[in-house]
Amino acid sequence: MHREIRNHVEDVLAGSKASPGAEHLDQCQECRSEIRGMREHASLLRELRAPAEAEPRPGFYARVLERIEAQGPISIWNLFTESAFGRRIAVASLALALLLGVYVITSERVAEDPLLASQPAQTPLAEQPVVTAEDAPGRLIIQMDQTIDQSVDQLRVDESSPDAVLANLVTYQEQ
Amino acid sequence: MDHKNSEEAALVRRVQARDEMAFREIVERYQSKVFSIIYGILRNRNDAEDISQQVFAKVYFSIRNFDFRSSLLTWIYKITVNECYDYLRKKRVRKLVYESDFSEEDAKRMEASEPAVDASVPADTRLAQRDLIVKLLSKVSEEERSLILMKEVEGHSVEELAEMTGLNENTIKVKLFRTRQKLLKAASRLTRTRVFGKESAGA
Repeated sequence: MHREIRNHVEDVLAGSKASPGAEHLDQCQECRSEIRGMREHASLLRELRAPAEAEPRPGFYARVLERIEAQGPISIWNLFTESAFGRRIAVASLALALLLGVYVITSERVAEDPLLASQPAQTPLAEQPVVTAEDAPGRLIIQMDQTIDQSVDQLRVDESSPDAVLANLVTYQEQ
Repeated sequence: MDHKNSEEAALVRRVQARDEMAFREIVERYQSKVFSIIYGILRNRNDAEDISQQVFAKVYFSIRNFDFRSSLLTWIYKITVNECYDYLRKKRVRKLVYESDFSEEDAKRMEASEPAVDASVPADTRLAQRDLIVKLLSKVSEEERSLILMKEVEGHSVEELAEMTGLNENTIKVKLFRTRQKLLKAASRLTRTRVFGKESAGA
């Protein structure tokens, strides 16, 4: 719909001939067609008017009170049970709690099992196959990173002894 | 209009303080209005009665959140229309009026009492049209739905709507225009779907 009529739609629909939009309507087929559609909808909407005698049955207030008593005060739990969004949050929270529970149980079992707990996390450096730079440059970089990590760990362990620190530094440089 | 200092605001404050007589006054003041809004949309007395009770129960429990930005009637109107559409959604009512719901008495009343209705249009066509507009209204937001119903069904002017909602007239005009455009688009989509459905079935 064109800007000329956009601000005057309510006046045009009300049938005002003096509206600035009425002039535009005479010349514009597109706006005329849209206004016709809006008029049809307005007429359909008026069909939703109830008959004048539409009234609730006598004793309505008493029934409202009964319903209020039956429903009771709204609690925080109603948010989770009555709205679809609340229900989704409740289901997601339960699923998360379940996952956390499974994780905690399985991690405790690993800690308690002496076989699983005593397994080294990494293969000792000496047992690892030597990879040349020509074969796999990426793997060499990973191997170097592991070596640095191990040396740093050793430095941390032996930091009480200055000689051991020096020895480790020499080993690191050689590597 | 200042909705905070009216006689109605004093009544609301009494209800907020859990004064049962004040609540009764609100129910008695608005029960006919609420019932007729619902009956206008659903055309079923039992459902209208049931949802009207639910509306006032909701008013009772949530009146503490009423912020006096709009009139009490506007607030109740929104709750009423929302409850109607909640009901339609929950029950998944595809057809608005089933034959079993629609008594002969209702049919006679409908025929006799609606001045805006064109008598030359058959009753089943009118029911289909009402079904269509209710379906189209479900495609706009809650606020837009209430506003267009207050304009077209209740017959309030733009000035009155501005006063009732606490918005300015231009905002009301823009909102009404957008709602009307959304209804047109929804109608055009629905028509396309129906035509496409018929073509698919025929092929």
